[in-house]
Amino acid sequence: MNVKFVNLKRQYQQDKSEILKSIDNVSKKGDFILGNTLEKFEQRFSSFCDTKYSIGLNSGSDALFLYLKSLNLNKEDEIIIPSLSFVATAWAAGNSGAKLVYCDVGEDMNIDPIKLENCITKKTKVIIPVHLTGRVCDMKKIKHICDKYKIILLEDSAQAFGAKYYKKMAGSFGDVAAFSLHPLKILNVIGDGGILTTNKKKIANKIKLLRNHGLKNQDSILWGYNSRLDNIQAAVGNVKLNKIKKRIKLNQKFASIYNSELSNYLITPKVYEYEEPVFHRYIVHIDKNYRTKFKNFLLKNKIETRINYGIPLHLQKSSGYLEYKKGSLPVSEKLSKTMLSLPLYPELNINEIEFIVKKIKSYFK
Amino acid sequence: MKNFYTSQYKKDIKKKISHNYLPDQFKDSEQILKKIKILIKNCDFTLGKDVTLLEENFKKLTKTKYAFGVGSGTDAMFLSLRALDLNKGDEVITTSFTFYATVGAIVTAGGRPVFVDIGDDLNIDPNLIEKKITKKTKAILLVHWAGKVCDMDKILKISKKYKIPIIEDACHAIGANYKSKPAGSFGLSGCFSFHPLKNLNAWGDGGVICTNNKSFAEKIYLLRNHGLVSRNVCKLFGYNSRLDSIQAIVANFIIKNRLNNITKKRILNSKFLDNELNKIKEIELPIRSKAPSKEVFHLYHVFCKKQKQLVAYLNKKGIDAKIHYPIPVHKQPAAKNFVHKNMGLVNTDKQVRRIISLPVHEYIKNKDLIFIVDAIKNFYNYERKIRKS
Repeated sequence: MNVKFVNLKRQYQQDKSEILKSIDNVSKKGDFILGNTLEKFEQRFSSFCDTKYSIGLNSGSDALFLYLKSLNLNKEDEIIIPSLSFVATAWAAGNSGAKLVYCDVGEDMNIDPIKLENCITKKTKVIIPVHLTGRVCDMKKIKHICDKYKIILLEDSAQAFGAKYYKKMAGSFGDVAAFSLHPLKILNVIGDGGILTTNKKKIANKIKLLRNHGLKNQDSILWGYNSRLDNIQAAVGNVKLNKIKKRIKLNQKFASIYNSELSNYLITPKVYEYEEPVFHRYIVHIDKNYRTKFKNFLLKNKIETRINYGIPLHLQKSSGYLEYKKGSLPVSEKLSKTMLSLPLYPELNINEIEFIVKKIKSYFK
Repeated sequence: MKNFYTSQYKKDIKKKISHNYLPDQFKDSEQILKKIKILIKNCDFTLGKDVTLLEENFKKLTKTKYAFGVGSGTDAMFLSLRALDLNKGDEVITTSFTFYATVGAIVTAGGRPVFVDIGDDLNIDPNLIEKKITKKTKAILLVHWAGKVCDMDKILKISKKYKIPIIEDACHAIGANYKSKPAGSFGLSGCFSFHPLKNLNAWGDGGVICTNNKSFAEKIYLLRNHGLVSRNVCKLFGYNSRLDSIQAIVANFIIKNRLNNITKKRILNSKFLDNELNKIKEIELPIRSKAPSKEVFHLYHVFCKKQKQLVAYLNKKGIDAKIHYPIPVHKQPAAKNFVHKNMGLVNTDKQVRRIISLPVHEYIKNKDLIFIVDAIKNFYNYERKIRKS
């Protein structure tokens, strides 16, 4: 048996003919940019995520970037982001014109609400909690902090489509949320794509301008970008939305098997009764001195694993100008050395999950 | 006059002679769909081998050393300017007679647009550039409008003299050349678009940056993909602006099977209209490229009298005549911070009131062209009659 870390081919094998048909429908009409197909996808996305407005963009990163740009921040302003995330969170904030402030994470790898409050200054304008691995941050506390200090709450929900926290959908807590439709996300398209969701009409209108050259009727009323979700990608998204509930359930099922079988050997992600993560990644932690050995053992048994966030954001070269030192955000640094992502996606079959479990157990015997 | 928006293009399709040829072009796309089927089988969706092939194709088409597929033509310009690390107050010289994206890219990249007037070829007037150069000028963003390359001999001299890099907005100019040298190969950066209504089109947004400069190429490589050197190492804060494989597939198909014909047909149609319309007293032709230079007529413009009435008349006749664009960029609400008195955009202001665009794409037949010519003749005959009576 050979278990790949990701297996898009298997996923697309199932949906191939439906997807091709949906693409053909768009191409026959010659309707490629900002059309009905996109509008339909946006509406369905909104109703799934319990938000009023969804705006299709070129990528999840663009959703963060365009919204931050719309705020016209200056270099005195500060944006707080967690030190553990994919780099897109950092570049979107770093390129927005404001100063980037990193906040350490908790043992759950999400931003630590207590440390977050300590990061706040008079200049803090935006907080971007990242629902890493598809698990919603401690939004009660974070929302409370944002309300208390009147700070904008922008949820980086790139990995968390469909995740719930106290029965409320990821992306429905803050002022705005950014979702990604990248091929490796749970709801995905066959290229880059993203969605910004919000309940505020004013924000929705502004982002619609920014994604399409600032054009309103015949006037260019502000300087914008070109960041439109292609109708072709929206057509694929519509096909994928039909299957999403089933896919999320499978992820959750596999994760619960891992959790119950592996928690005696590895630090597995705790799932509290009030949360329903979607497990974009399933990350375990192991003593840093044994991680390489363990990873190699699994590889020898044809099980691919990955270290997804091996260098925290504040220690990336691109953050050099901010002058964070090693040890400044200790939890994220520690977790980056102990984390390991196991294969987990809906297209795995139960035999493969059992195989992985068996091999891991045999390592610890 | 709402006549150039996506939504409007979609309505104009109902006109007999339309600018929009997409349903004709893609009514049978079996060959493209076959390739997409393979893509879906291999799941090579992001920066895969189709994008590499497209980049190879572009290096050949433009005779440049490096090419990078990006999210759109707008992004091509935005990333090129971002790579120059503009500071507040830095100036970029360009023209106001362009689509908003050209100037939008300058502003969003942190620059200040400085407008130079156009000549009677609708491109930047090279004799007016030097006057606008200051210590803060960081780039000249040339627009090869409608598919005609700017007067490069003069402009390259200026670029060399002041050591100011040139970025080419070649979004209209795939296949065009100036004295046999391809559009997009003159400057530090050549920017192309695959928007569905471009001569070389895809099924959504897409673009390419071409360059001969190695260090610039390295920077673009990072900027388009999150600044990532490898999966875990981020060297600089970049963006996400990658050409989708599926769009690369469509563009590669067009390059291989259609582009030459598209270009030829547009040139032929334009030459026909030039000959016929030149006979009408009220019509004047913009200055065209002379051999061995080649313009590709992404848009076909002539200057006319009674512009708005003529457009309305032709539209009524089922001819999709348009004005690209009735309001120049410097008169847009978004430009208010960059506008001052005496900008000297005399010709820009004059020509937007005289231009008209007529469809010349590959699906326009000779009888359509004759119909267009006759309609224009009729319009002016009628106008003359009214004036006499």
